[in-house]
Amino acid sequence: MSRSMRKGPYVDERLLAKVEKQERSNTREPIKTWSRDCTIVPEFIGHTFLIHNGKTFHKLYVIEDMVGHKLGEFSPTRMFRGHSGGKAKAAK
Amino acid sequence: MPRILGVDIPNDKPTHISLRYIYGIGPSLALRLCEQARVDPQRRAKELSDDDISRIAGILDRDYTVEGPLRRQTQQFIARLKDIGCYRGSRHRRSLPVRGQRTRTNARTRKGPRKTVAGKKGVKEMRG
Repeated sequence: MSRSMRKGPYVDERLLAKVEKQERSNTREPIKTWSRDCTIVPEFIGHTFLIHNGKTFHKLYVIEDMVGHKLGEFSPTRMFRGHSGGKAKAAK
Repeated sequence: MPRILGVDIPNDKPTHISLRYIYGIGPSLALRLCEQARVDPQRRAKELSDDDISRIAGILDRDYTVEGPLRRQTQQFIARLKDIGCYRGSRHRRSLPVRGQRTRTNARTRKGPRKTVAGKKGVKEMRG
């Protein structure tokens, strides 16, 4: 079910504060974050984030098209390395 | 048989049914079109006058995206998802279910016909 319009998008306030701080000082340091559930708002455009995926941080430069998605959508949490036996078959 | 928007030739079913042969027209839009064009939805498609047809085509042209443009639009939306490198985009790229469905079994619509892997454990093992 989608989120109620009344509430507006969910944005991590501390993260937004960090973005605004950078905006004021005109610096563009990657921001490390764990809040994968935070919606990407227009203020984030042009900033770089390091989004945690449970193990490492995934670098993301936000562009306009990404607005409305969640940060977590850009930091995959699973890595598929192929099924067992796949290598053996290839070697043969 | 009548032709609407070039290629589509609905047959001798009731108008609201045959309109659904056009890509992008479903049950509710078909009925709404009949109402807007003041055509009896129950009348057979072959009984439509040229005037009826041009009215329906006019409304479609003006207010709705169907057929080619609609297909293109959908492709663009998917291309955008792939482009920005989000999770949904990667699911499209791998032609796996996009909306969080299980893939351990089923998901055949997205994955296509089963590709049997030689030497894989039997069905009994999978149930265990």
